[in-house]
Amino acid sequence: MKNPSEKIVFTGSGIVCGAGTSVAEVWERLASGETAVAPFTQFDGTKWPVKVAAEVLQDNRFLVADRKLHKTISRTDMFGIYATESAIEDSGLPTYREGLGEEETIDFNDRSGLIIGSGGGNYTSNYEYLPLITEAKGELPGFGRELANQVTPMWLLKNLPNNVLCHVGIRTQFKGTNACITNQCSSGVLAVAEAASAIWNNEADRIAAAGHDAPFEPEMVYYYHQLGLMSGAAPKPFDAGRNGTVFGEGSAAVVLEREADAKARGAKVLGEFLGFGCCSEATGILDLEPDGDGVRRAIEAALDDAGISKADVGMICAHGNGNQASDLTESMGIRHVFGDDIPPVTAFKWAYGHLIAASGIADLVMILEALKRGIIPGIATLEEVDSLIAPFPVSREATKPRSDIALLICQGFGGMNVVLAVRGRC
Amino acid sequence: MALIKKRRIAVTGIGMVTPIGNTAAETWAALLAGKSGAAPTQNFDASGFTTTFSAEVKGFDAESAVPNRKLLKYASRSHRFALAAAAEALSDAGIAPTESDSHRWGLSVGAGMMSVAYDDLKVVHDYATDGGQFDAAGLMNPDFPGNPVNFCRWQSNAGLGLLTKQFGIRGYATSVHTACASGGQALGTALKVMRRGQCDYMLAGGFDSMINPIGISGFCLLGALSTDNDNPTGASRPFDATRNGFVLGEGAGFLVLEDWDRAKARGATIYAEFAGDGNSLSCYRITDSPPDGNGPIQAIEQALGDAGITAADIDYVNAHGTSTQMNDRSECSALKAVFAGRVEEVRVSSTKSSMGHLIAAAGAVEAAVCCLAIREGIAPMNANYETPDPDCDVNLITGAPQPMRIRAALSNSLGFGGSNSSLVFRNPEEVKP
Repeated sequence: MKNPSEKIVFTGSGIVCGAGTSVAEVWERLASGETAVAPFTQFDGTKWPVKVAAEVLQDNRFLVADRKLHKTISRTDMFGIYATESAIEDSGLPTYREGLGEEETIDFNDRSGLIIGSGGGNYTSNYEYLPLITEAKGELPGFGRELANQVTPMWLLKNLPNNVLCHVGIRTQFKGTNACITNQCSSGVLAVAEAASAIWNNEADRIAAAGHDAPFEPEMVYYYHQLGLMSGAAPKPFDAGRNGTVFGEGSAAVVLEREADAKARGAKVLGEFLGFGCCSEATGILDLEPDGDGVRRAIEAALDDAGISKADVGMICAHGNGNQASDLTESMGIRHVFGDDIPPVTAFKWAYGHLIAASGIADLVMILEALKRGIIPGIATLEEVDSLIAPFPVSREATKPRSDIALLICQGFGGMNVVLAVRGRC
Repeated sequence: MALIKKRRIAVTGIGMVTPIGNTAAETWAALLAGKSGAAPTQNFDASGFTTTFSAEVKGFDAESAVPNRKLLKYASRSHRFALAAAAEALSDAGIAPTESDSHRWGLSVGAGMMSVAYDDLKVVHDYATDGGQFDAAGLMNPDFPGNPVNFCRWQSNAGLGLLTKQFGIRGYATSVHTACASGGQALGTALKVMRRGQCDYMLAGGFDSMINPIGISGFCLLGALSTDNDNPTGASRPFDATRNGFVLGEGAGFLVLEDWDRAKARGATIYAEFAGDGNSLSCYRITDSPPDGNGPIQAIEQALGDAGITAADIDYVNAHGTSTQMNDRSECSALKAVFAGRVEEVRVSSTKSSMGHLIAAAGAVEAAVCCLAIREGIAPMNANYETPDPDCDVNLITGAPQPMRIRAALSNSLGFGGSNSSLVFRNPEEVKP
């Protein structure tokens, strides 16, 4: 039950992506118009039509110091654990907990939640079975007989979609309400929305919400390319010459709690969660409504949930993945709501690629920075706004928000639209 | 926090596709008859694996069970179960999204793991390996028959996309995965979404099928499956001292959830009130369950609190009861802690003893079983129970189903990774206006 007198605030954030391993570092790249999209290194792209991605180049030990853990988790989990624990550290909650008595600590842990948006799985993990298929000459009985000799007993555990939830739980003892959301691009932003809702509903006192994904892998590039969704360079959202998206990888996370609780423990406040909208277009896995009506409905639901009007909105961070149909319908949905008075719009995938399950929540972490500084980073790859989209308030240069309120739009496979409304803090 | 009256939610439709029946009615009849769904695996040649049997869905005809056959092209085996079970639930409820209210309909699903089909992996193997190791250059072979339709099928929310399209659901939609707790958590999410007023109707459930070479492999490698290959039907024996692992099942379960007053007003059949949800993380180990029940206890207590009842109001528990040594012991510790002096009075069974473990679908199917048990006044048995385990001394329903009036039922789902989900369903007769 939403209680309008009870404000939910962000008290910590964390991020890892091709553009950096801290909020400050990623912001710096974003604000200076520098893209992390570059020729990829994880496999040989010589014969490939797509040769770029925004990869995380740090080694695993930088992300997760405990080497024993590396054997039981996958690449995407490294990102998720790093960003979630960075956000929790940033919130100051671990230090606060150290000052509590034994009983209070038990209660603190039971009232601390984790909601994680996960990419859900990948292709590369299955390649551990390839030597076995060779060994068994493609016959299943031999595959079964030789299984234990060829594949690690930990295979299933390494690839559980809910690994970040599990391991961050064990490491932080956040034992309360939890979920692992596997809703493709919408996963991370829905994690934030569900976290705020759970605190409003008094299911928890504080929740770390995260999204993580590692979509950059050969089969994903292959299929996205086949579907015409992949560009060969940094994406150009809303540009006349846009021709697709580019994969990034990584994770972002935020910590949410009641404003009163944050104040009581003297925590810094990064911003306020105001409300959200979530809807399906019922169009199947890939298709979009041609008129952006789903985007419109999600924006209107978010404004309504936040108790604000469209005139209150100071900026919009669009999904802007650089695909023809997606950017066009997104701009139509925005125009349906705002008419000719659209607040400044930006989009960040040119900087760190498409993080799929982590995409929206990474944008959220950057929006909180943008509002804090009163600067909206421009779209560095923008040359000429698509005539079907113009006039549309996107720009190559940085602009200023009209107010301290931002809308974040996230679209995903399955006809999903999620919009968050947040207020920044200076 | 001010006490705000919670919106009351009714369960008005049930649909199931399980190893013991391809509809809710068939599944229920088979449960009461104590039928087992376990048999030698037919989906593929499992003869070389350490476990050669499973609880498969049998004789399922997607062409006749799924309303929009065009979607089948994009549907995996588990998606087909989901489309059929969801169609049954909606038809049972006698309502469906319409042009005017489709935006007030939501969907919440617990979806299985996105592992790729063995046949697709075999194709990758044949084109893109060098000495058994993956070689990305092979995907660029112009003859590589990679099919984007297969790609779509394995996206994490493909099931969500097919279900929203099939039924025209245009409101809130989510897909969750917390291993064996997925189905329970999906229903819990649906309850929350409805209570906060974002939807007036929800289709909520779970679906899974891991009975394929890659799915079975993961569990065989962990040693989690029973290896009673000479006795498949007796292999799933939760809480029995000789239990030695779970039996892998597959299927789907869906509920239609509806605002209580609207359901009453239209004269709908109300199976149960969906009264409470509890949700905790054990934070213990990835597969091991905490022996003292710390984790599951909090989930059960939260669910009771959320439902506004106490342990004294529960008459039946549909246990997670996987038939592994550790899970069953941990769950019994939790039940004994929560029910304390009343533990003798509360009747318990794990229906995994009959239908096996449906993984991401388990929590949803077992919630549906609780609703039917409340409505029919009879609780299914814990089949195959012979040898008592002093660590599992809860009051099990053994030998035959137990006719009983159930005031409220509890359904537990405890997943790999430590997510625990508990749900409370209340007899509609117990609901005071």
